[in-house]
Amino acid sequence: MHVPDGLMDPIVALVGTVEFLVVVAVALALSARKTGEKDLPRVAVLCAGIFVAQMLNFPIGGGTTGHLIGAALLAIMIGPTLAILGMTVVLIIQALMFGDGGVTALGLNGLNMAIIAPLVGWGVYNLVKPITKGLSRTGDSVAVGIAAWASVFVSAAACAAELAVSYAISDGAYGIAGAFAVPAMLGYHLVIGIGEAVITVGVIAYVSKVSPGALRRAAVTKSAKGWLSNITSSKVALASSAILLVFALALPLYFLYSSEGSDGLEQTMVDAEVEERDQILSAPFSYGESYFAALFAGLLGFLAVALVALGILKALGRGPAGN
Amino acid sequence: MVVLELKKLGYRYEDGTLALKDVDLTLEEGEKVAVLGPNGAGKSTLMHLLAGFRMPFEGDVSVGGVALEEKSADRIRAMIGFLFQDPDDQIFMPTVEEDVAFGPRNLKLDDVDSRVKRGMDSVGVSTLADRAPHRLSYGMKKRVAIAGLLAMDPALLLLDEPTSGLDPRSRSELVKLLKSMKRTMLIATHDLEAASEIVDRALVLNVCPVMKGTMRDLAQAGDVLRSAGLELPPLPMLFETIGQKGYEVDALPVTMDQATAELTRVIDREGRRRR
Amino acid sequence: MPMIVGHVRGHSHILPDLDEHSKSHWFGRLDSRAKIVGIFSFVVVCALLTKVELITASLVLAVAIAAASGAPVRSLAKAYAAAFPFMLLASVSVFLFAGIERGLEMLGRTSACVIALLALASGTGTFGLFAGLRRLRVPATISTLLMLTYRYILVVSEEFFRMRTARKARGFGGGRSLLDKYALNTISFTAGTVLVRATARADRVYEALRCRGFSGDITVWRTSSLGRSDLVFMAVLLLSSGLLAAIQTGWVQW
Repeated sequence: MHVPDGLMDPIVALVGTVEFLVVVAVALALSARKTGEKDLPRVAVLCAGIFVAQMLNFPIGGGTTGHLIGAALLAIMIGPTLAILGMTVVLIIQALMFGDGGVTALGLNGLNMAIIAPLVGWGVYNLVKPITKGLSRTGDSVAVGIAAWASVFVSAAACAAELAVSYAISDGAYGIAGAFAVPAMLGYHLVIGIGEAVITVGVIAYVSKVSPGALRRAAVTKSAKGWLSNITSSKVALASSAILLVFALALPLYFLYSSEGSDGLEQTMVDAEVEERDQILSAPFSYGESYFAALFAGLLGFLAVALVALGILKALGRGPAGN
Repeated sequence: MVVLELKKLGYRYEDGTLALKDVDLTLEEGEKVAVLGPNGAGKSTLMHLLAGFRMPFEGDVSVGGVALEEKSADRIRAMIGFLFQDPDDQIFMPTVEEDVAFGPRNLKLDDVDSRVKRGMDSVGVSTLADRAPHRLSYGMKKRVAIAGLLAMDPALLLLDEPTSGLDPRSRSELVKLLKSMKRTMLIATHDLEAASEIVDRALVLNVCPVMKGTMRDLAQAGDVLRSAGLELPPLPMLFETIGQKGYEVDALPVTMDQATAELTRVIDREGRRRR
Repeated sequence: MPMIVGHVRGHSHILPDLDEHSKSHWFGRLDSRAKIVGIFSFVVVCALLTKVELITASLVLAVAIAAASGAPVRSLAKAYAAAFPFMLLASVSVFLFAGIERGLEMLGRTSACVIALLALASGTGTFGLFAGLRRLRVPATISTLLMLTYRYILVVSEEFFRMRTARKARGFGGGRSLLDKYALNTISFTAGTVLVRATARADRVYEALRCRGFSGDITVWRTSSLGRSDLVFMAVLLLSSGLLAAIQTGWVQW
């Protein structure tokens, strides 16, 4: 999912970079308070591990293979703040040393793989775990699996959104047409996500059996007073905030897209005219970007609202028990 | 001047197993002492504990007169040079001289330039100053690590299995180097041969202290060593065997020099007897 | 082991240790801050070019930078080839939906950026690059993590390859599909072992660093200061980038 320089529209890249920098700055500030120097070498070695793990091929079928992202794995192991920093470091190394990614693209790649992926992974894990733990013995693994899949799928959706918006607002100079990008990215990563889920579950199970000390969950600090402290001390509430944050990050993209004047249908028609010229292939889905926009907003919105509601219920002391 | 003092030192692992019990040891300035024991005897744990990484422990530890506790751990680490078993754990700067300079710079010591130069000279890696350490051989990496420690001018050197993993040539070079260094050192090892060449005295450890004395003293108690999981090195073992065949010596030798002396004595004695 | 294996888009790819050439060449001796600022500015501008002539010019410039960096052509070519597949994938969809011209523009644009970045990395050496970033006020946490992570990628990948060879020697072929439970189990096991060993090593590294007085910031001892050649280099790149940007935005008529 590493996007190279020059693929995305400069405005989209700029928005992505700003969001990325802001979140990383916050993560840095939070990590300075919570962690000592003990964690730096451990995070570094785990990042090296994630980097190497990203080199692993897993078979999908028909001779094709997929790759791990590892964001959910890292977030479950060391918590979201450090995972954000860790994935950022992995991306920087990949971009500078291997040409996988880029400098202007670092913001977007970082947003997708270093912020959205770990936040979704960690958030979903902590929201689903209380539910599935009560259901079966392997409840924890189920939560890990769902979280890992979600982290891949949602970050792929974000990437697809960025590509589609880049295409739409630049009249095709940048990005990839949403009609192609969205189904392709979502379809491919729907399958990849399964591989990531299976392997993440396997790795966490292995590590917790062999070396439980390595699974250090992020400690939750009790800082503010009253209702705020109720939220910050509940891991579930924090997890829902994480999901909310992901949704909030996607908002500017949606505004960018819809601000291009018209509503969805008109936009499709305008795009169809652009495609008239040297077209070799015509878009398989004629509803194009409008469908995507609605789907995007609706799905994530629903998910976010549902999860946040769950989190608030938890924080107020009702709903599924256990933290 | 007492550099290291351990009194009734004990330690348990997190899961409750006993790692060390009732360890007493004193090191004066300039002394070289070995802690001998098989794998799992607690030698490494002892080393890490002295560097302030295993707390809480029972008993007292003081380095350079400073009692070891959470608050003083950093101060004590500044006085100690700890050579890890795997140099890859220790080395990571891109050139040898950067890595040797790392310690002095972090500790804000004065005159880093001459410290680095002296450190590199004393282990013989000055010609490699610009080289990338991770491309060097295992033995060279160990030397670079030692140089980095010497540059900090520590009051006490802790060496964790320094000869492990070295080929015979590197091993004998390292032994010569450690023997020539005029520094207070504590060496954890199961390489009795190397220990014999380097140290003045030793402590045999198997969770609890088993025996203390000079290397030669220890060699006379072959059974005790064996029960503690150690083997006599070839030299004393040879003399033990020929002693059983009737060619006895007063005390089993442990170093080459001692062995040569004893052997010539035996040969002379036998020669005289034959006449 | 001086080789780093990079795995990009499914292609296994070996990068020779790029750090060695840097010191002997003039490019390598430039202050890394100047190189970073100059080349990053160039890349940022390249990413927003849409006019064909400008893209071509930027490609030529990028190749010139690569030549100037003194890095061996073969290793640069190999690195570029490894990064190529995703660039191609992105361009393919552009080719199909917006025409050949647009597709070529996309390809050219991304290529110029990638080539310039690879030239920067191979001509500067990794550690020098990260230290340069630190001197450019990148927070210590990030730069220290970069240095430590890079150092340990070398070590961890060695362990990984040893495991992989052992696995192959026992007949593991990679698995057939996602439903191949045995294959996925083995892969998880490999990944898990690599991570567990990595964590154990991390704790030892932490102790070794603390013993040498580490407190969160790793800086380079022998640092350089900006000299004339550094400023000239930066100026050349900034001016050419500025010119490209000016023409692109229509500020200057070509």
